[in-house]
Amino acid sequence: MSTVALTIYVLMWPALVAVVMAVIGRGFLKEWLDARRRGEDLI
Amino acid sequence: MPGQDVVKLGAVTIGVLLILFYGGTFYISSRIGKREESADGYMTAGNRIGFGISAASMTATWIWASSMYASATSGYTYGISGPIHYGLWGALMILFIYPFGRRIRAVAPEAHTLAEVMYARHGRSSQLMLAGSNVVGSLISLMSNFIAGGVIIALLSPFTFIQGVLIIASGVLLYTLWSGFRASVLTDFVQVMAMLGAVAILVPTIFFAAGFPSAFELGAASLTPEQSNFFSSDAFLKQGAPYIAAVLAYAIGNQTIAQRLFAVREDLIKPTFLTATIGYGAMVIGVGMLGVLALYLGIEPLGGDLNNLVPQMAASYLPTALVALFFVMIIGALSSTADSDLAALSSLVMTDVYGHLVAGRKKANPALMVFVGRATMVLATGAAVAFASLRLNILDLLVFVGALWGALVFPVIASFYWDKVTNRAFTTSVIAALAVFLPVRFGWLPMSGATALVVEVLSVVGIGVVIGLMVFGFLGLRAAKVAALVSMVASAPFVLGFLRDYATLSGSLVAYAVSTLVCLAMSLRSRESFDFSTIKERVGHFDDPVEAALPDGELAAAPDRA
Repeated sequence: MSTVALTIYVLMWPALVAVVMAVIGRGFLKEWLDARRRGEDLI
Repeated sequence: MPGQDVVKLGAVTIGVLLILFYGGTFYISSRIGKREESADGYMTAGNRIGFGISAASMTATWIWASSMYASATSGYTYGISGPIHYGLWGALMILFIYPFGRRIRAVAPEAHTLAEVMYARHGRSSQLMLAGSNVVGSLISLMSNFIAGGVIIALLSPFTFIQGVLIIASGVLLYTLWSGFRASVLTDFVQVMAMLGAVAILVPTIFFAAGFPSAFELGAASLTPEQSNFFSSDAFLKQGAPYIAAVLAYAIGNQTIAQRLFAVREDLIKPTFLTATIGYGAMVIGVGMLGVLALYLGIEPLGGDLNNLVPQMAASYLPTALVALFFVMIIGALSSTADSDLAALSSLVMTDVYGHLVAGRKKANPALMVFVGRATMVLATGAAVAFASLRLNILDLLVFVGALWGALVFPVIASFYWDKVTNRAFTTSVIAALAVFLPVRFGWLPMSGATALVVEVLSVVGIGVVIGLMVFGFLGLRAAKVAALVSMVASAPFVLGFLRDYATLSGSLVAYAVSTLVCLAMSLRSRESFDFSTIKERVGHFDDPVEAALPDGELAAAPDRA
């Protein structure tokens, strides 16, 4: 593998981690706000 | 570079970080604490958790400290494909259980444990076999996480290993004890956000601080041709293949996964499992890349122990503030799994021991159940601390238990789809599989001549079973049969005369094969035709057993099996 390919190969994982973090965080926030609006417990 | 000074955090810094971490998680769990916790809430949070929390919890639970260390070890040992052969297959464990999870949830929407469903499907012996294996697995996992905590605290601070184990055990018990599973999943969200955030920051920081990308060119000579090859057969055969064999076994044998399957809202099972698959894979492979970087840099692990690689890379290339972040990431990883293990153990004892074995479902007292669950957590923590002080070889134990779980996979999955599987077929097939697995795994038989050939033929069948089950979950029975046949024919030339030297892999495959063959043979002769719709009546809530178990408010006796 070339240096560029290796660099992308190593750094793509933390980038993907950041995307998953955003997806989970968005889902949690939406449910938290919904629960507050309905006056229910989140869990 | 090699020989570089390693950052150590002082006792005060570590103390403050631990107080902030466990104090924070305790505060979060206290916000959802109820004076009188319900039994069903304590075990599954009422079966209606949303996507954000369940995806976070599934990801956090599946990631533990050992998975990060092992992924980095795989990268350091097998080169650039090493982390893939650890993290990808681990992630697929979550993905492959998803279609079975949907079926299990449809059959038993309000269950608490898989063993409980086996009780309704078959009876006592099948239930206790599955529950027993779940308890052993969760205890080993709990002990392993305490050990990982003791090691990281001893490595980065002046505290001793035992002091570290006691701090971690007390911290996890503190925030999990009162609210059980509800506390576990809510704190998982915070912990997984900290872990994901840490990986997103730390891996690129170490990458550039260690002199990459130019270090790829300077260190290329440190790698063997196999380590430089992305399609390394060495990495696949020694790391990836045994893991594929374990994929379904870990998912079926692990109550922490089943518990989340029963807790998430039924319509959210798919996005939850998919997100957790990607989250787990990206995070574990990302941390595993630190092992690849260490290989390029020519770093020798401290004390020759490969488990030191990840902390060593962090302590060598990160400033003190980011070492503290790394410390929080590891503590978050092991705490989230440890609290899940505690919740799993308490559910198993509450449901399968007290709920069905001692009291019976209709007579079970929910308040007493919650007390039993809390007492279980305290006892399990004490036992895990005692075992942790022995510093047993965790990975060996896990591989052993994983193979044991392999004996259960086909009988459990078949029991959810095939009406002809009987309790006798389930029990006999598991015992027969264990009877063959043990001598193969521990080399009690000479692996030569006819014995070796029989083991290898069974291993070929085992490969067919694993591939067949994976395909069956997504594409159905016909495709599964074709896939099983093709995989057996394709693998036979590489297995026969070769696999006898790999006791771990062949033991695991033999367990799959024997349990499948015996279960198939006995079930095909069976005249039983089980009605799956009856499971809903036999498995349900403990807080309001009759109303919750019956459709449309219909009042009828919810049978409890003897």
